[in-house]
Amino acid sequence: MGIMDKARIYSPWLYHLHCGGCNGCDIETLAALAPRFDVERFGIQLVPSPRHADILLTTGCVPKQFIPMVKRVYEQVPEPKVVVAVGSCACGGSLFYDDAPENYAILGHPDLLIPVDVYVPGCAPKPEAIINGVVQGILKLAEKRAKK
Amino acid sequence: MSTEIKILKQVLSKYSKPMTLTYPSTVAPERRYSQIPEGLRGIPERDNDKCIGCRACYFVCSGRATSIYDKDAKRTVEIFLFRCTFCAHCQEACPEEAIKMTNKFEIAVPNREDPAARVITELDLLKCKNCGNPYVTRKLVDRTYERLMEKIDTIVKETVSNDYKKLDGYCPDCRRAYGVDFDTHTKKYVWLEGV
Amino acid sequence: MVDLIYTVVSLIVIVPLALFLGVVYSFLLRKLSARFQWRVGPMLRMYGDLKPLLGTSRLLQPLYDILKLYGKETVVPDVSRRRLFVYSPYLSLIFAVAAIFFIPFPGMPLLSGVPYSLIIASYLLIASILFTILGPIASGSPWAAIGARREVELFLVSELGFVLSIFAIAIARQSLVIWELSKGAQSVYLALLTVTAGALMFAAVLGKLHIKPFDMPEAEAEIVAGPYTEYSGKLLGTYYLSKAFLLYGLVALFISLFLPPLATDVLWLPLYLIAAFVLVFLLTAVQVLNPRYRIRNAINWYLKVVIPLGLLSFIIALAIWLVV
Ligand code: SF4
Ligand code: SF4
Repeated sequence: MGIMDKARIYSPWLYHLHCGGCNGCDIETLAALAPRFDVERFGIQLVPSPRHADILLTTGCVPKQFIPMVKRVYEQVPEPKVVVAVGSCACGGSLFYDDAPENYAILGHPDLLIPVDVYVPGCAPKPEAIINGVVQGILKLAEKRAKK
Repeated sequence: MSTEIKILKQVLSKYSKPMTLTYPSTVAPERRYSQIPEGLRGIPERDNDKCIGCRACYFVCSGRATSIYDKDAKRTVEIFLFRCTFCAHCQEACPEEAIKMTNKFEIAVPNREDPAARVITELDLLKCKNCGNPYVTRKLVDRTYERLMEKIDTIVKETVSNDYKKLDGYCPDCRRAYGVDFDTHTKKYVWLEGV
Repeated sequence: MVDLIYTVVSLIVIVPLALFLGVVYSFLLRKLSARFQWRVGPMLRMYGDLKPLLGTSRLLQPLYDILKLYGKETVVPDVSRRRLFVYSPYLSLIFAVAAIFFIPFPGMPLLSGVPYSLIIASYLLIASILFTILGPIASGSPWAAIGARREVELFLVSELGFVLSIFAIAIARQSLVIWELSKGAQSVYLALLTVTAGALMFAAVLGKLHIKPFDMPEAEAEIVAGPYTEYSGKLLGTYYLSKAFLLYGLVALFISLFLPPLATDVLWLPLYLIAAFVLVFLLTAVQVLNPRYRIRNAINWYLKVVIPLGLLSFIIALAIWLVV
């Protein structure tokens, strides 16, 4: 493994994309970034701009108004990138989405728009579960480089 | 300035050891997890032997995570964890107490088809003696009979028991079509109302 | 001849050395501010069972960040002024590297002995920061424009403090050569000047490095990532690289001007490093104890502190020049 591949594993930067959830998962995500779990131990940082990110962390069911933004933010993240869907809404739609959308405002889980790499079910998942998901995301990130 | 001095004092006080847990690492097991409270609702797990395929969990599921479908003489009871809200309604509704919420929560999976994302129970279906179509599980028939007998404590008990045995093994369609042949007591349910 | 060869060799050696020290300083900034907040921060020794996957130590965490950025796709927005957008980070890096050539390191005078080296070094530091403003303006993003505007305003006031402090020292010591300034003998009056002008320089460094009360150009909560919003991949990595050099350069300049003999002889190296770490510790303490100022508050604060302190330093400096 070259130094570049190592660096990719050592410093994954996170962009938190909230698309229409109830805020439960966002609170847990922030708890995962806070001193109690402190992901900076492993070099993970929350970055404010998608242009700097390696891992896109989405929460919530996508409302129809939000479709262009989700696509655009995904495209703004430079390659190689990994998408981690946090929470049952972002994984399978949960309460808000059945196979036929029953809500005039909701499109469904972000999987319908962008390729998701790791799913973290839970309502809301514990911070440990989110860290677990992000770690799996990092492993996928390493794989993506290996393929090229 | 005084606020800053206060903050500095607190920061440098004797409590200033890092409060960070060691989560993904196992070097200090006692500092690995944050508080896991008693009764934390994690993944629901189903006891395959206890489940009778009664669909009670399907009707109460709040996230519509549970699905039940019959295929090839098998009834599959499935919870798709991606949709589950971990509300424990199914645990409450299950007549056999087959579903238990565990406190496992590390279930990140890389794709939708991953077996870790589903809690599946497969049950054999009983075939109708008349037409051969699979219609219900053996266990469900037996457990319903038992519970019925527990509840009824009147003179109709024997009638009901006899009728139940007569109908056993026939699917609802056949029962309706050949109802006369079975010679069951048509008025027993009227009498049962008072029970 | 030997001198020339030594200078050339030391010029080559100082670049990786400065990068290493800059990376260690920024690691310390992160680690110390983490410890101030009761968390662990980038780990000096990784947990035993995670070592195979996550490496043994994260001492070089900022360097890993930079390397990773170099391995990523670089996006250049369509609406940007392409040439300025792409070249600014590299120019910023070049000026930052050039600036450290004029600042002495223990045992390596480098180019700090050339005439007017103080002015050259401060110009180069300013130029490096200037290109962190020009690139973002060319990116065409409104957030970057707001961030760059804030940075210009901050730059004007913090630069005032910087210039006042170095010229107070220069007047008192009658020299514009950093090498001579970093040698000089101490006297009681000079010690007094060191305190006032040193405080002034410290405040200027806060503004230049965007340490907490003055980090409004990069205020994440308000303006995305400020000037760096549109930068990604290699270009962002170059900015981070020039930031590491800038951090090293400012700390080295501070020590060579205000703690005179430390930056001259190689025997002072341990003390030099201790002084640098103390300085970084002070920067971190300021960072964690303060909330972010609004730009107007920051300017007011600078004017309130910089003008009296600057005047005081100048009076002391003139007194030393005329009397002593
Ligand atoms: S799990 Fe319980 S409620 Fe669900 S089908 Fe099985 S027995 Fe019925
Ligand atoms: S816990 Fe709630 S959402 Fe999950 S399967 Fe049971 S009833 Fe459905």
